[in-house]
Amino acid sequence: MKKQWLLLLTLIGILILSACSESTIPEGAEGAEGEGTTSPEAAEQEVIYASTTDAVGLSPTMTNDSVSSSVMSQIYENLFERNPETMEIEPQLAESYENTDELTWVIKLKEGIEFQDGTPFNAEAVKYTFEKLIDPATAAPRASLLEPIDTVTAVDETTVEIKTKYPYGPLLAALSHSNAAIISPTADEAQDSMQEPVGTGPFKFTSWNQGDQIVLGKNEDYWDGAPELDKVTYKVVPEVSTAISMLQTGEVNFIDALPSEQLSRVESLENVEVTKKEGTPVYYLTFNHSTERNQNPDFRKAVASAVDRDAFVENLNGLGVRSDSVLGPQVFGYDESADDAGTAYDPEAAKQLVEENGFGDEPIKLLAANRDNFILMAEIVQSQLTEAGFNVEIETMEWATFLDTARAGEYDLTFLSWSNVTSDGSEMLYPNFHSDNIGASNRAQYSNPKFDELVEASRTTVDQEERKNYLAQANQLMLDEDVAIVMYHGVVTAATDQSIQGLQLDPNGQWFLQNVTRE
Amino acid sequence: MIALIVRRALQLLFLLFGISFLVFSSMYIAPGDPAAVIGGPTATESDITAIRDNLGLNDPFLTQYARYVGNAVQGDFGYSYQTAQPVADAIMVRFPNTLKLAIASMIVAVIIGVITGLISALKQNSLLDVSATTFALAGISIPNFWLGALLILVFAVNLQWLPVGGMSNPFYTIDGIKELILPAITLGTGSAAMIARMTRSSMLEVIRADYVRTARAKGVKEKNVIWIHTLKNAMIPIITVIGLNFGFLLGGTIITEKVFAINGVGRLMIDAIAARDFPMVQGSVLLVATLFVIVNLMVDIVYTYIDPRIKYE
Repeated sequence: MKKQWLLLLTLIGILILSACSESTIPEGAEGAEGEGTTSPEAAEQEVIYASTTDAVGLSPTMTNDSVSSSVMSQIYENLFERNPETMEIEPQLAESYENTDELTWVIKLKEGIEFQDGTPFNAEAVKYTFEKLIDPATAAPRASLLEPIDTVTAVDETTVEIKTKYPYGPLLAALSHSNAAIISPTADEAQDSMQEPVGTGPFKFTSWNQGDQIVLGKNEDYWDGAPELDKVTYKVVPEVSTAISMLQTGEVNFIDALPSEQLSRVESLENVEVTKKEGTPVYYLTFNHSTERNQNPDFRKAVASAVDRDAFVENLNGLGVRSDSVLGPQVFGYDESADDAGTAYDPEAAKQLVEENGFGDEPIKLLAANRDNFILMAEIVQSQLTEAGFNVEIETMEWATFLDTARAGEYDLTFLSWSNVTSDGSEMLYPNFHSDNIGASNRAQYSNPKFDELVEASRTTVDQEERKNYLAQANQLMLDEDVAIVMYHGVVTAATDQSIQGLQLDPNGQWFLQNVTRE
Repeated sequence: MIALIVRRALQLLFLLFGISFLVFSSMYIAPGDPAAVIGGPTATESDITAIRDNLGLNDPFLTQYARYVGNAVQGDFGYSYQTAQPVADAIMVRFPNTLKLAIASMIVAVIIGVITGLISALKQNSLLDVSATTFALAGISIPNFWLGALLILVFAVNLQWLPVGGMSNPFYTIDGIKELILPAITLGTGSAAMIARMTRSSMLEVIRADYVRTARAKGVKEKNVIWIHTLKNAMIPIITVIGLNFGFLLGGTIITEKVFAINGVGRLMIDAIAARDFPMVQGSVLLVATLFVIVNLMVDIVYTYIDPRIKYE
């Protein structure tokens, strides 16, 4: 009997011991912490941010999700960046650029910048980064971002020459995308950049406990002046209401992307400041343009007339901007004349069209992914369409299944959204509506040669004013034909502890901590 | 005893083999393409093809499965499609948290459950019994997410006695214990209720047995009647319930882990399923299955101690 007890205790012991052996600091991170701290008297300035998911990885080449992008944007920098106030593209690691011809971009780099590992930032690093992203052997999830690039040449230490396969207008926007951030070639060859990233940015990587938290430290040698913050922690808190409670108790100091139903709770907190800014994301109802019924302009007109978008936006507690335009106010290519150029809400006209054409006879499958506001939108739109006489059935599914189903065109109506770090209209219209991408990202299955031509022109023109013009025309065409019905344009939000000053919130939802101080 | 363990270990091998095939084929058949999730909504066809090639997803099903099993028997459970991290590492980072939570919840559940069950059995039909039974019913009925949110509001936000969430300190420190209290109560209440009900009914059954009456007739002290003659004999079904619950808790408890921001196996598994991260799903399911078998084995061993009549040939 004693033997049996011993055996049992040993088994329990093994289980408990495995719990004790847990290490919260991953390999290679020991000793790194604290390096960035200043004098012992000065209190360490730290910001703890709560993120609903963990980053996938920290290599700009190998990731394509927003949390990774958010962490990477503190560590890495790009040749160009979009000014969050003017939305103009400005040089970041680049000094200047010129087009010697439509296919050639000669980019002058800033001098004297070093990566966090001491590797000099130069033309070779830029060449290494871009070639790695494009190389099919890398299998980068966003290889298509720089697909138009033909060659990258390091002319001298601080000059890079990029040749494109065809004139490519959105190149600078693409270069400002977080996936095109410049990586340290030495570090990338020596270690796994997904785990130990090295860039030129204001913060450097300290540690990552997968699924729990990522810690960044101050880059003392940052070329544009070391940041005030000593430490930045990304804590994974999957439940938004828990994150809000943590913000209230001070366990975290900063959250973002507030859901509209939680907004009033956050705004009522005494020590918390809420920042809202008109953003680039757009949420829209689209047709499956491959079916015969949906190709009937009257059918689309009837649907568009039946959806009361004003009422929907009012329900978002200020977290939505109403505009008919597919390219929103913060996106390159937007023209304010498009704000009310779409089909207006007119329930009577909708009823009439439905009755005359018998649109209510056959059921409509409204597909909705079970995330963001999609199900809420589906329920509201279903009731409005039903009122107009349509027969609408909602089908909801989780994200991965939705991506497949929508790509295959197995629906009548669905909700889609777009948000992109480049904030460039071509990056919206080309993947989502150009016929090249049917079967992939063109889930609306939309194909219109005239539209394709305009979008192509917006991509292959280098003159930015002309590009804007083409995008505005393509946008107008979509509204004239009711290709997609814009529900709302997103408002990006952040809720911070009152002690945090100087947070820069970009319209694409990204934020920067370089100038943040805590008082 | 040794024979029992060896037999179970062999059964486990076959079981794991069967489970891995089931999981692999169900993930294969399930809609949703891991490459499409990695590429995101704006990925082009060429992006997705490149990712699929890179992950070996274009190979036939049996080739993929054979490759997986071939590596797994050598201890290599593959790499996550999402993060490119070894699956075993990702699981081992999270398992200690799940284990801590499961043990802490079981402690809460056993203490509350057995005591409540005992009281209500010994004071059958009294006010105490009614309130204990009501507690048990409520414990089973209250959803975890609601109880968790309520406890956070009261003890973390308003009273500020305990942290809202997270689990980053070792369990033997004060902070580590503080972190465990709310999640353990949230998770333990449901199991406590089940244990209480089982204890009550099992005790009531045994307390009417002839040998208990005999013991009382022979003048054995009431304390000894309860502890030695009744409770010990009533333990078998109680231990079964405890073992089953513990097995479930070790599989990770998605809701509690989510509400309290605990980096555990349950969350890992759910995220992996959502991202169609097949190797990660496979790895975590195999771990859970193994733990379940081990816990059941432990329960069987405990039986032989409690009831010496039980013998394993």
